[in-house]
Amino acid sequence: MTKKRLCFNVTCFAVLYRSVVCITALAVLVSAANVGQAEPVSFRKDIVPILMDNCLACHGPKKAEGDYRVDSFERTATAGESELDTLTAGNLEDSELYRRIVSDDPDERMPLEGDPLKKEEVQLLKQWIEEGAKYDGEDPKADLYSIMLPPAYPAAPETYPNSMPTSAMTFTPDGANLIVGGYHELTVWNPTDGSLIRRISDVGQRTYALAVSPDGKMLAVGSGAPGRLGEARILSLESGELQRSLGMTFDVVMDLAFSPDGKRLAVGAADNTLRVFDLETGDEQLKITSHSNWVTAVGWSKDGKRIASASRDKTAKVFNAENGELVITYAGHSKPVRGVMFHPDDKQVFSSGADNKIHRWNVSDAKKTAEVGFGGPVYKLMNYGDVFIATSTDKSVRQFESQSHKLIRQYNGQQDWVLSSAFHPGTKRVAAGAFDGRVIIWNAEDGKEIASFIAAPGYSPK
Amino acid sequence: MRISSRLRFIVCWAVGGCFSRKCFAALLLMMAALGISTNLSHSHAAETLLPIEVGQPTRLEVFPQSIQLTTARQVAQVIVTAHYKDGRIQDVTRVSSITSVDSKVAKVAAGIAYPVGDGETELVVSAAGLESRVKVAVSSQSLPDPVSFQYGALAGFSKQGCSAGACHGSPSGKGGFRLSLRAFDPKLDGETLVREGSSRRVNSVDPDQSLVLLKPLMKVAHGGGLQIKSTDASYHVIRDWIGEGCRLDAKDAATCTKLEVYPPSGRVLLHPAHTQQLSVRAHFSDGSVRDVTELAVYSSSDDEVATITPSGLVVGKDRGETAVIVRFLDRIETSFITFVQEVEGFEWNDPPASNYVDELAFEKLRQLQFQPAALSSDSEFIRRVYLDVIGLLPQPSEAEAFLADNSPEKRKRLIDELLERPEYAKFWALKWGDLLKLTSGNVGPRAVHKYARWLESSIATNQRYDQFARDLIAARGSTLSNPPANFYRTAADTNESVEIISQVFLGSRLQCAQCHNHPFESWTQDNYYGMAAFFNRVQRQKTGRGNELLVWTNRTGDVIQPRTREVMQPWVPENESLGKLSDHDRRETFVNWLTRANNPFFAKVEVNRIWAQIMGRGIVDPPDDMRSSNPPANAKLLDALARDFVDSGYDRKKILRKMLNSRTYQTSFRTNDFNRDDEKYFSHYLPRKMSAEQMLDAICHLTDRPETFAGLRIGTKATQLPAPDIANSEFLKAVGQPERQTVCACERTGDSNLNMAIQFFNGGLIAGKLKDKGNRFHRMIAAGKNNEEIIRHLYLTGLSRLPTQGELDGTLKYLQEKDDRGAAFEDICWAMMNTIEFLFQH
Repeated sequence: MTKKRLCFNVTCFAVLYRSVVCITALAVLVSAANVGQAEPVSFRKDIVPILMDNCLACHGPKKAEGDYRVDSFERTATAGESELDTLTAGNLEDSELYRRIVSDDPDERMPLEGDPLKKEEVQLLKQWIEEGAKYDGEDPKADLYSIMLPPAYPAAPETYPNSMPTSAMTFTPDGANLIVGGYHELTVWNPTDGSLIRRISDVGQRTYALAVSPDGKMLAVGSGAPGRLGEARILSLESGELQRSLGMTFDVVMDLAFSPDGKRLAVGAADNTLRVFDLETGDEQLKITSHSNWVTAVGWSKDGKRIASASRDKTAKVFNAENGELVITYAGHSKPVRGVMFHPDDKQVFSSGADNKIHRWNVSDAKKTAEVGFGGPVYKLMNYGDVFIATSTDKSVRQFESQSHKLIRQYNGQQDWVLSSAFHPGTKRVAAGAFDGRVIIWNAEDGKEIASFIAAPGYSPK
Repeated sequence: MRISSRLRFIVCWAVGGCFSRKCFAALLLMMAALGISTNLSHSHAAETLLPIEVGQPTRLEVFPQSIQLTTARQVAQVIVTAHYKDGRIQDVTRVSSITSVDSKVAKVAAGIAYPVGDGETELVVSAAGLESRVKVAVSSQSLPDPVSFQYGALAGFSKQGCSAGACHGSPSGKGGFRLSLRAFDPKLDGETLVREGSSRRVNSVDPDQSLVLLKPLMKVAHGGGLQIKSTDASYHVIRDWIGEGCRLDAKDAATCTKLEVYPPSGRVLLHPAHTQQLSVRAHFSDGSVRDVTELAVYSSSDDEVATITPSGLVVGKDRGETAVIVRFLDRIETSFITFVQEVEGFEWNDPPASNYVDELAFEKLRQLQFQPAALSSDSEFIRRVYLDVIGLLPQPSEAEAFLADNSPEKRKRLIDELLERPEYAKFWALKWGDLLKLTSGNVGPRAVHKYARWLESSIATNQRYDQFARDLIAARGSTLSNPPANFYRTAADTNESVEIISQVFLGSRLQCAQCHNHPFESWTQDNYYGMAAFFNRVQRQKTGRGNELLVWTNRTGDVIQPRTREVMQPWVPENESLGKLSDHDRRETFVNWLTRANNPFFAKVEVNRIWAQIMGRGIVDPPDDMRSSNPPANAKLLDALARDFVDSGYDRKKILRKMLNSRTYQTSFRTNDFNRDDEKYFSHYLPRKMSAEQMLDAICHLTDRPETFAGLRIGTKATQLPAPDIANSEFLKAVGQPERQTVCACERTGDSNLNMAIQFFNGGLIAGKLKDKGNRFHRMIAAGKNNEEIIRHLYLTGLSRLPTQGELDGTLKYLQEKDDRGAAFEDICWAMMNTIEFLFQH
């Protein structure tokens, strides 16, 4: 049924980006007259989001219907099995991509059997082709995620219809604020009374990790929309403004950590990678693909020479932070691993997981040296130097001495799985967030509850 | 589907490709002679919906008669039936105009009434100038009506196929996402959907952005492709459940107790009436009723007769009867619809009925306008009835005598004679050996003979079938001194006991219910373990004497349901009829229930099995797969046979005799213009490949060179072997002898395979018998018989008939052209063995 137009395809040349570029000059002359005042359409800015939202699911690396893919500019411009020119600069008629999007025939119109593209989207595509279907990136082979511009995220809901799992939180360096991940926003709370101080918008759909840089100036936000997009975003802690967008990828960022010198950021994501970025330049320094499933947690050694990672592939690993080489793999959990951190001596690692335990093991030989049991899977280990916090589906929040993994205190009160936690040594406050959205703040000196609230502005439990 | 086994067999031959063109031509000739068509084309009714010819009905009937929409999510599927002067009826829902008098109270779209606001109004239904009105009462619209997790969201996932066995319902899930098969474990599914994977699947702040919806919409790459549309009822119910905060059902939430399907069983649609909208209402334990037409899952037991759209519109394709199977989570309900078409030129040929079997079979055929085939010829009949009753071909002298006999009673007399022959018991014992997994490996080298002899004597003495079942199921003692105790040797543990007993005696394949609710039947996991509670106390102990096993029962011991951890009480279908439990041995209670006269399964399963043995297809088919979703082709006939069987005191020989004497059994396999498409209602005999054992015996019979089986009495036929692993015959294995590893009747298939083709092309066994100078035709040559005498004799021996003049001339010509007369006869005999007529029972 897609062969209908085969006979028109007299110029049977393969439409690679080069041919598009070749005829661009001509096309610009033609289209300039029509478009006039409007700003030229950018592939990276305008077209990539359309392709991602509407086309990539069926025409991407996971599924390539009709042998056609749109996961890079070059592929988008390359014909699929129909061998029809997908893009012809300045010529909508001979641009199969456009024709299929506006076709009246339900067997042809893309997305097949799905909702049609919005008018504005069609208009952008039209204008882009009329303007020459130009590529405004460097490498036409580059993956769409690597060339897309930092997205402007939708606004957060005014009021939340439901609570959402509290999967990330951090105290500000002065301990005056507790920042909690919300829906397309971060919410900032007063830890002494649980009141909402402000809302920081323009972040990814859900936030899975928050980290403050050692100098206290940057806030790193690991976020994403499950199965669609992930991003590590650096905000100015003071203003909440976007400073840099890093590591755009096809699934959510699950954890991130600043190097001890504050110059690098390690990012673990549900795309199974562990990446390290230079915060000065934004360059991706390392891309480690050693894990076969989500990288759920990352942690630096004190000397900054090594990075530990936890993964849903049931292993924890240690890598050389300079060259990304694998140092050792720990497979002792036999269940997904959710948390990881170095012991203060840098020679051992703590990891936690769905086997309901924290394991302590040697970097040198991956031998287990100790373990701590919980009543359910254990989430991320939040490392604060001398102490660390662990939370679990058993509703407990536990504070340990890092050196000896001796339990200092257990904080009670949560009624659901406890997913996230934070500690502020100066003000001696511990905070933890649960699946039901509840955040509780305790006094670390006596374990007494200070404040409790549901981190969902405007939400009232029914 | 239409490539029947016989044709597949041919195709298989053709694939082999290593036999001469001449032989292939001979094969085709033989097929032509048999009237077997090689034309595979088959015309189907058009796939698109045909318009409804409304005509002039006399009145409209609207279902439901009144509508109450008592919560915000209630809807009501309206069904409009037109009645005509001649008594015909037709569903005219999709061409009726249905409007609401007060659109502030209710609205109607695509035949479904939706509530708008509290109040009362009427729906005006009109078609063909007639009008009918239905009262609508709407209430409680301002009260919340949260989506039930189980009966809303999970029903939605089930409707879209997400939790089907091939998708996320498979034991390991798909793509890291696992749902319980058709939502039988809501607790697990709740955790999976709401919490697993960092809660990534649902988004209760912006439900349309939930991964679990984006994927089947193909907004995010989904291995299973596009599976839902944003306009589907399932989409709405899942989205709303997420938007309401993914609330799981309370422990004491109402459960679905019953499905009500409209129209109920028995609707007959006469063409051009060919579509029927369904309405499905779920009744709950709190007395509430919900229309779940949009969330129920539909399938047709026969897609050639009718298919069903996801919205519950049954579309008839051909004449016949189909069971409309309606599933709403674990509830299954069936409604039978018959599609009748006036066939041009059809006339009922009114063949004489021999007994009630024919009367009931003909009644169904007449209704569906299939014409019964003519009576089989005497040659066909004698060959057929020998193979069916004793498993062997008639001797040439027997065939000759029967063909020459002019008595009108000769068929009846032959049937009586055959039923008294010792081969009858041996051959039917083989069939039971298959079902009871009788092998030396399973029961031991001594017991295998004892068990086989016990089976044979049960048939030879025509033991009452209820007693036979009791001997097996309640067996105790030594497997050597009480052979039926071996039943608990092949049923080596409680689970196997449940599965074997349910499949062999209840005709239900229960294996799936061990791990989850049965996907096509109302059997639940609880039922499985309830059945197990009859058999878990059976103990098996080795005595150390040879392979002897001692079977006895404990007085205590409970079955724990592995999922719920509950202690299970013994359970049977129609549990209320179970009666008091035996303190002594719960199996006794089970057998009492099983063999009582009104047991709905026991007699039916056995008469259907006997029927399938001789007719090549069960009235319920496969014969050991009785369930409401696999309806009998002729329910009245099956009921009558079962009743007769019970009334006769479970007399197996008597019921077999009744079937064999029916004209239905004795019809020709040759079809006519009015029954060619029928493979289901017994309008003509269904030719089938001989079984492996019959085939070997037939080859020995034709060549008169018997096989000997090591360790068995000389003269033992393949159809009389106690177990396949006693006589290790490469030939038998190649041509489809079952290994008896399961109780499934499907282990013995009618399919052919390459191995079989090779055996017949140039296998050692056949070549040896053909070249053997002591074989039938070499002996006749040596005795100075002429070519024509030998040819006639071979035809009588192999095919129970004399050659036609054409066959005779052709064969004689072939012989004249050949120098070596012996070799030429080897060719002729080999060619005969390779004909469909020889290999098939017809």
